[in-house]
Amino acid sequence: MAKVYKDLREFLATLEEEGQLVRIKEEVNPEPDIGAAGRACANMAEKPAVLFEKVKGYKYSVVTNVHGSWQNHALMMGMPKNTPVKEQFFELNRRWDKFPVPPKIVSRENASCKENTVTENINIFEILPLYRINDQDGGFFISKASVITGDPEFPDDLNKQNVGTYRIQVKDIDRIGIQALPFHDIAIQLRKAEEVNEPLPIAIALGNNPLVTFMASTPVAYDQNEYEFVGALQDGVPTEIVKADTAEHLYVPAHAEVILEGYIMPRVRTCEGPFGEFPGSYSGARNQCEIKITRITHRNNPIFENLYLGMPWTEIDYLMALNTSVPLYKQLKSSFPEIQAVNAMYTHGIGTIVSTKVRYGGFGKGVAFRLLSTPHGMPYCKIIIIVDEFVDPFNLEQVMWALTTRVKPTEHVTIIHNCAGMPLDPSSIPAGMHDKLIIDATTPVPPEPNPRSVELLKPSPATPKWEEIIKKLMDAAAKK
Amino acid sequence: MKCKRCDLDTVRVMTKSPVGNEWEVYVCDTCHYSWRSTEEVHVNDVFKLKPDSIPGLQQIPPIPPLKTK
Repeated sequence: MAKVYKDLREFLATLEEEGQLVRIKEEVNPEPDIGAAGRACANMAEKPAVLFEKVKGYKYSVVTNVHGSWQNHALMMGMPKNTPVKEQFFELNRRWDKFPVPPKIVSRENASCKENTVTENINIFEILPLYRINDQDGGFFISKASVITGDPEFPDDLNKQNVGTYRIQVKDIDRIGIQALPFHDIAIQLRKAEEVNEPLPIAIALGNNPLVTFMASTPVAYDQNEYEFVGALQDGVPTEIVKADTAEHLYVPAHAEVILEGYIMPRVRTCEGPFGEFPGSYSGARNQCEIKITRITHRNNPIFENLYLGMPWTEIDYLMALNTSVPLYKQLKSSFPEIQAVNAMYTHGIGTIVSTKVRYGGFGKGVAFRLLSTPHGMPYCKIIIIVDEFVDPFNLEQVMWALTTRVKPTEHVTIIHNCAGMPLDPSSIPAGMHDKLIIDATTPVPPEPNPRSVELLKPSPATPKWEEIIKKLMDAAAKK
Repeated sequence: MKCKRCDLDTVRVMTKSPVGNEWEVYVCDTCHYSWRSTEEVHVNDVFKLKPDSIPGLQQIPPIPPLKTK
């Protein structure tokens, strides 16, 4: 049974034990220190989480880069910290099939997130050490929230309750902006509320069990409950949730550090942004939704967990790497068992590599079309590379080999004009529309002709023995 | 005080530091830009906003038509 974390604090303790968390005990300035440290972590080989114990002018601590390395990602899954990425991918796949694992609903008394309640004179700066992440951001952003909303048409249907990650800009001490892009699940619910001019109740959970945060940023189907996936990814151990205080139909992670509750004001849009986004550039100012906060609950001495985004790779790229790859793999695999693995780790799947067996001519291109017809793939996937089943899509050297030796540009490169696009991709013009590039780097099979068929080089059967001998000699040399 | 982004004088103190007298945060009620008194603020020209351009910024998501009950 894999190690399971009840809350963020248990995970931080493990990161510290494993040498993947550092504490800054000296007081720091909110700007530029916290954002700069997030960038610094991303530049390092080990990429630890960083806990700032004292932030000037604030009461509580901040932690950043909690998900920001493959080591932290493996530890999140309860695996040894040096587990290779491909192994983490296949372990996630295995656990994914345990879905659904219903969450355990705990009483208010047993939910750590309810240790303190604030209902009057709400000021989020009293609880959260807010700061500017990148210097041209339009304000202070909450970049790692798990946002919970329900479907106004089916309020009691927990499967349609959504837990998602959306960027949040602080507009006032009790008012925050939220980005709900039209293809996000929350936008479906917001539309129903706004059509009848009703507020949309919302709860925002900060500082969660790391797999809650992971699932909140995973693209799953609209009627799939994220909490049931957390239980699956915890290898069958249910996650604990508790009823929100201000909305009967919303459930929040029971041991979150902080819960902000309130509602999206209907039919209101105000200026939001810019914000340094995951493609490594700023998105401009737009008119976006606003939330009024009416209640805060929080743990004693809450820890504010927030995320740095910058020129990839940074924490966000690790957070949404395999959780983008696995659902796409599952969707493709259900149609085509020939699919071997999907690497959708590049800028949230804008660049995606699929490894597949090839059943007949044109199969690789067909797999790309299937990818482009998935809910996530339709707007996001733009550059699609299909490789043979013996090419590891997580090994870019192998992928480059396939591109350089398998591809005849006039035959195997296809551009499809005027499709859906990801608006935050700065090459999407107008924002939200884009072309698609498919590179079929699989070996041609009949009826597609392959006039220059070749024999591939095969490793000697003695290779594993020699790998072992050389490794032992290297280890011995390292100890001297 | 003028807004560092849109240049209007619709700026107010949003809040003060919860501990000590370390800083204040200002916000513009027109363009919602906010900053802390301890920051060296420089808004790049490309991100400056003219107040009359704000209503024309892209609306996300678009506000749907009202349904008649």
